[in-house]
Amino acid sequence: MRRSTVFGLFVLLCVCCLAALGVTSEIRVSRFLVQSRDLSGITAALKLTDISFSDDARYTRNPSQADIFSAFQDYPGSIEHFPSGSVTPPPDFSSLGAPITVKRR
Amino acid sequence: MSLNSHLNVLDFTLLSLLRRKFKNFGIILVFTFIVFITGSILFLSYSFKREALLILKGSPELIVQRMSAGRHELIPADISKEILKIPGVSGVEPRYWGYYYDPLVKANYTILASSETLPANNHLLQGRLPGPEDKGVAAVGRGVAKARFLDIGSSISLLSSGGDAMDFDVVGVFETESELLTADLIVLGQPDVVRLFRMPAGMATDLAVSVTNETEAPVIAGKIRYIFPDTRPILRKEIVRTYDAVFGWRSGLILTLFAGALVAFIILAWDKATGLSAEEKKEIGILKAIGWETSDIIEMKFWEGLVISLSSFLLGIILAYIHVYFFGASVFAPALKGWSVIYPDFRLAPFIDPYQIAMLMALTVIPYIASTIIPSWKAAITDPDEVVRG
Amino acid sequence: MDNGIIIRTENLTKYYNKGKANEVLATSGVSVGIRRGDFAILKGPSGSGKTTLLSLLGCMTRPTSGSIMVEGRDISHLPERFLTEIRRSTCGFIFQQFHLIQGMSVLQNVMLPLYPTGADLTKLRKKAEGLLEGLGMLKRRDFPVQGLSGGEQQRTAIARALINDPEIVLADEPTAHLDTALSRDFMNTMKELWEKGKTVIIASHDPIVFENESAGLVVEMRDGAVKNITRK
Ligand SMILES: Nc1ncnc2c1ncn2[C@@H]1O[C@H](COP(=O)(O)OP(=O)(O)OP(=O)(O)O)[C@@H](O)[C@H]1O
Ligand SMILES: [Mg+2]
Repeated sequence: MRRSTVFGLFVLLCVCCLAALGVTSEIRVSRFLVQSRDLSGITAALKLTDISFSDDARYTRNPSQADIFSAFQDYPGSIEHFPSGSVTPPPDFSSLGAPITVKRR
Repeated sequence: MSLNSHLNVLDFTLLSLLRRKFKNFGIILVFTFIVFITGSILFLSYSFKREALLILKGSPELIVQRMSAGRHELIPADISKEILKIPGVSGVEPRYWGYYYDPLVKANYTILASSETLPANNHLLQGRLPGPEDKGVAAVGRGVAKARFLDIGSSISLLSSGGDAMDFDVVGVFETESELLTADLIVLGQPDVVRLFRMPAGMATDLAVSVTNETEAPVIAGKIRYIFPDTRPILRKEIVRTYDAVFGWRSGLILTLFAGALVAFIILAWDKATGLSAEEKKEIGILKAIGWETSDIIEMKFWEGLVISLSSFLLGIILAYIHVYFFGASVFAPALKGWSVIYPDFRLAPFIDPYQIAMLMALTVIPYIASTIIPSWKAAITDPDEVVRG
Repeated sequence: MDNGIIIRTENLTKYYNKGKANEVLATSGVSVGIRRGDFAILKGPSGSGKTTLLSLLGCMTRPTSGSIMVEGRDISHLPERFLTEIRRSTCGFIFQQFHLIQGMSVLQNVMLPLYPTGADLTKLRKKAEGLLEGLGMLKRRDFPVQGLSGGEQQRTAIARALINDPEIVLADEPTAHLDTALSRDFMNTMKELWEKGKTVIIASHDPIVFENESAGLVVEMRDGAVKNITRK
């Protein structure tokens, strides 16, 4: 068999593999979509606001509930929760209505 | 030119690449690894985002926190009566929750008072939730159950803020499939939460407000802010945006780290390609002298870049998929999870964004092909008589 | 077009690095006519411009001024693509250094020139094997070329030059790396080709080559110019 055919078959195999993975993805996603109704049922019943992703600190456990200064609130020995803390952005303040400014007299 | 001529040139290219097996397989290996890492991050963060958004669809439309001295403070439960008077508000319910550090397993739990019962056909809870007024019973997340070896019927002891141990019978355990939501939860009856945390009477952690029409939620939030200036209303929309940002950030950071590796690789590839060895230059000259056109040489170089980068891309992306969705992103889940003791198994639904994959492909395959072709350009257009002289 | 002439050059001049400090006039005002079926020798001392003229005749490079007619067609101003086309269809070049592609087998090297033409590889292989057989190289078919002796490498190079059935076979200093016996073998091979009707052009300062009885045309060069043309 010529080499270009071998390479073509290799690429074809990979593409088929990807297609197969795409199909499993579809199947698992649709299964998840069914399950997600139960999940959001739990969310609603328990009035949850965040996913349990990383419970290093309050602002990583409940990023949406973190308050303005939460990144500085933990005990002094724990300056930062690396790496989760370093990648968690500050909360969204847009609902506070007015921008937070430091007033000077 | 016929198709066969292209296949012939590809044949020659493969033959030529196979001459330097060690080097070329090395490049494919490194390249595959980079695609694998980047692809895994893309898969992981995209799935997280999609899952989080679906899961959190059931979140309260509006949460009202009280802020005091810049901190999140307990809120008097009776202001819910005032909030209920705002037009468009259909219900206000206090939430009682908090964090509990368990020195035994060095883990943080999230303690939460139950308020509603789950529909009986919810498959993700084994047993039941404690009723709102139940005492001495708990439902726990799978992470807690694993950390403390709990099952329905066993009991867990927690130390209250008052210093006394409180025992709870486990009446419900959340299923593994719900870990992303419930891994570190301990759901108790409301009086137990109040006692455990010694919350002053009449105080709640925050208030969950439901509205009749979600589009009005921002207006209602504004009114609440107006009436109670020390509160911070959080809209569901903002929660969603937070998750957009978190996974944007998280994946962004790691992508940045890997961008370093990627750049190193590109420099390597560039160096390899620009420092077109004397031998390669000579080979190009020979090919030209024996009758290959400039375009044939360029085509050969194109194939060379394509064979290496496409193989690497395909292998890398397949491995990334398997890694993230069959093995729970075991390679770098720890980095994403941080220091948590209890964290969910990443049993993610394989949401795939074809756009991201296409971008990744474009960003890996095209630059590599370019870095193979461009340096050989000069050698390809020079007259072959140089080679005659040897 | 006068019949019988396969390559004619008119006032052919080639400068290297024209306009720079290291400008070299490699050939100046060369006018020769080579007939179809000629056995031509370019002879002259080192640096006299033999290799330069040979690569001009073999369409490897273009002259600075003057013209080259190959089969009645002026190629001195053709774009690169057409030059390659002519080189591929009418010329077979045997290099002094052989210039085989290292790491590939004898057979692959011989097949190489015709890959981009879209040739059927099975047929091409048959043809290459036929050529190698004619040169007594068939048993070395699958050997990597770097392991071959000088004579074997040259025979591989000859087979490669012949794979496209060229009208003209050109060789530059073909005997420089060979001993006397092998040089004679080479000349015999060239003679066989010539007898089959090919036009053979060899640049050399080796007496074994230019004193060969088949050599019908000897072009003697000196300092880039033609000093003497003798036709037997
Ligand atoms: N690429 C080049 N750049 C500059 N000068 C060149 C180049 N190629 C050849 N020359 C010069 O052109 C002249 C003719 O060179 P050529 O190689 O044709 O001579 P030659 O007769 O083949 O010599 P030899 O017998 O040593 O092979 C020489 O003076 C050489 O230095
Ligand atoms: Mg020479």
